[in-house]
Amino acid sequence: MYNAWENALAEIEQKISSSNFSTWFQDTSLISTDDGHIIIGVKNSFFVKQLRSKFLDVIEESLKNTGIEVQDIDFKIETKSKSKVRPREITSTPTPIKNKLPSMNSLKSPKNQKTGLNSKYTIDNFVVGSNNDLALAAAKSIINNPGTSYNPFFLYGGSGLGKTHLVQAIGNEILKNHPDFKILYTPISDFYADFVDSVMKGKGKDFNNKFRSLDVLIIDDFQLIVNKEKSQEEFFNIFNNLHQLDKQIIVTSDRLPSEIKTVDERMANRLTWAGAFDLQLPKFEDKCAILRSKADLLGAEIEDEAIEYIAENVNTNIRDLEGELNTILLMSDVRGLTPLELINNGSVNVSHQTKLRPTTAKRIVDKVAKYYNLTTTELKSKSRVAHIKNSRQVAMFLLKSELSMSTPKIAAEVGVKDHSTVIHGIKKIEQDLKLNFILRDQIAEIKEKIYD
Amino acid sequence: MEIEATAEKLSKALNNVSRIATSKVTLPVLNNVLIKIKDKQVSLITTNLDMAIVDFLPVSNSKDGVITVPAKLLAEFVSNLPKDEKVKISSSGTKITVTAGKYSSTINGSPADDFPELPEIDEKSAVIFKIGTEEFKNGVGQVIIASSNDFNRPALTGVHFYTSDKSLFIVATDGYRLAKRKLVKNVQSEIKITIPSTSLQEVLRSITDDIEEIEISFNDDLIRFRLGELEIISKIIDAEYPNPEDFLPKTSEINLVVDRTDLIRVVKLASLFARHTTNDVITCEAKSPDTFSVHSIANEYGENDSSINTKTDKDGKISVTSRYLLDALNVISTPKISINFNDKSKNLSVIESALVLKEPNSEDYIHILMPVDDN
Repeated sequence: MYNAWENALAEIEQKISSSNFSTWFQDTSLISTDDGHIIIGVKNSFFVKQLRSKFLDVIEESLKNTGIEVQDIDFKIETKSKSKVRPREITSTPTPIKNKLPSMNSLKSPKNQKTGLNSKYTIDNFVVGSNNDLALAAAKSIINNPGTSYNPFFLYGGSGLGKTHLVQAIGNEILKNHPDFKILYTPISDFYADFVDSVMKGKGKDFNNKFRSLDVLIIDDFQLIVNKEKSQEEFFNIFNNLHQLDKQIIVTSDRLPSEIKTVDERMANRLTWAGAFDLQLPKFEDKCAILRSKADLLGAEIEDEAIEYIAENVNTNIRDLEGELNTILLMSDVRGLTPLELINNGSVNVSHQTKLRPTTAKRIVDKVAKYYNLTTTELKSKSRVAHIKNSRQVAMFLLKSELSMSTPKIAAEVGVKDHSTVIHGIKKIEQDLKLNFILRDQIAEIKEKIYD
Repeated sequence: MEIEATAEKLSKALNNVSRIATSKVTLPVLNNVLIKIKDKQVSLITTNLDMAIVDFLPVSNSKDGVITVPAKLLAEFVSNLPKDEKVKISSSGTKITVTAGKYSSTINGSPADDFPELPEIDEKSAVIFKIGTEEFKNGVGQVIIASSNDFNRPALTGVHFYTSDKSLFIVATDGYRLAKRKLVKNVQSEIKITIPSTSLQEVLRSITDDIEEIEISFNDDLIRFRLGELEIISKIIDAEYPNPEDFLPKTSEINLVVDRTDLIRVVKLASLFARHTTNDVITCEAKSPDTFSVHSIANEYGENDSSINTKTDKDGKISVTSRYLLDALNVISTPKISINFNDKSKNLSVIESALVLKEPNSEDYIHILMPVDDN
């Protein structure tokens, strides 16, 4: 019954404006459906009145569409209390613990069993910026004409930049336009699990049919593809099949297919036939926009200065950005201070939270040298051999990012004279990191070794 | 839509309603005030979906119609006009024009359709009673400070109104302190409701000297306060309220009466040091035959020890939160205050060892502070 309401909510959400939905349908529940007598639980009588006078039709229709018989609809006021307060519970510690966390988690995320899509991801709540406008434009064209222009749609970018959001949103929007379409969203790992399972049970045919009858197939986290010839062959077959029938295929990955070790060339070529779209790290303005929209979604109040502070200090990805925002909002709830007050009084320290784990400059230089099969002396030499030069730049980059060392100091550590050489080197690595996935992996591996 | 009223009257009405028009919510129209004129009756309405405020503004001249406009903007504009200026508000489309003599402004609004409809009290089934403004204001003011703002315990975020032995009591507690007041004697009907403190605070704020009586009506899920031209409608907290009697210590061995001004002074002096410790803890001590002293320590700053004269035949100590004690003393208005507690070395239960403050020779008002550990 609970699920039925989730499904109905997902449908209602698409029919009314998002501000109406989040205002009136948050914290609602389905209490009973006996013999078509629907009872819906709401917060208070203000909600009863409004739902009854403005949204009764929408509720009825959505419930019917989810397969629930509707005779009449009534509302009941439900106060969600976590625990009944009993006098004996009194403690003598006068430090009340405030915790309004539920209000943040209460944003419903109804997940559709059949398609694997989560309806909380929509195109409307995808924040557009210069980092993703191209991919978004392609996505919109797919929504309008699935299977024609960008097929397959290959989307790549670092983790936490919104790949899953965007492809799920495509799925949701297509489903909205074509309710009869068969759409399946699956991470590649699930695809394999499914495949292995069906082979073991001797139902390989069912598996084939299940995928070949799809109108839209969305594969997430393609980089996790395993090096098993048989299953890769199977995927390749399904891919070809759907593609020939002009069915839309959407694939996400954290790097280009040619950079995934386990993918053979044939497959890699196919995947990027229609081009590859990347999601990049958001710029400062984009980050501010993302934070603002997220805060609005949560109904939280946060000053512009606080948003700018977070945007300036979180440089990893959007997931971290949102994580930081949530932490600060929660802290502001608990302490009763506004986010900006928290930042100003030093309670929040974004930039130093995730970094500056204990390590030394020497250790970093040693590990970099070792990783690239050089001696420390070679790395610190004046050699301009590309290989050595490059590893020197990686060392500079890591000294900066891990230890926040000043450029003159870094220069001394890696044996270059001029601090402008260091600035140039760091910039180059930062630039390369955006596109060079091998380098990205390398640096991640080196970091692991440094902190091992 | 058109209304005409003096800036003073209009400003008062707008200030009454605009307080709860918040920007924190997801529905932008809740920032707005709904101006509604039907059959020459003007009402200004705002809501935050927990409560609504309606002001029935008497005006000299009006034309029917509805519109919503940003409440705070309109309120601030009107409040800055000269008081006796005649203000005219008229609408065209979703805009209103406000003119007053040489001052004029146009404010963008939005259609009234977006504004939520308000729930109404069913007059037939509702319990209705009236209460003198003075009594209500003083009584509620004395207990509301003890209510909680922890929304995980919804019941405690309100003030509980209940009848017992033909009297109406009000009580509030946050689990660390409790305040209870007998509000009205000889009540006929049964009452048992919990009203959100935030709504009651709005009622208290809206009380002006010219209002003598408040009409309160409520049914299962809604309560309405009528004060003059103002109506405040609020949800009722639908959660079981703990029985206040369970919080009252049965006996207190140490009983003394002290002068309120003296007590406030020593507690304040002690709190200067206590606020540097983590929990504002101060220790009160009764020493026979005639001393009541308050002691506090802040390791890095020093310590304080002050006493006042009183009469006591027993010795004993108790530690409490100075902030809560000051809160309590500020709402008890009698010149003398009765203090009752049990010595903490007896290790009684938390409730039995609580500190009880009362007005002398009266059980009408009780304020209880749970003791804290002072180490």
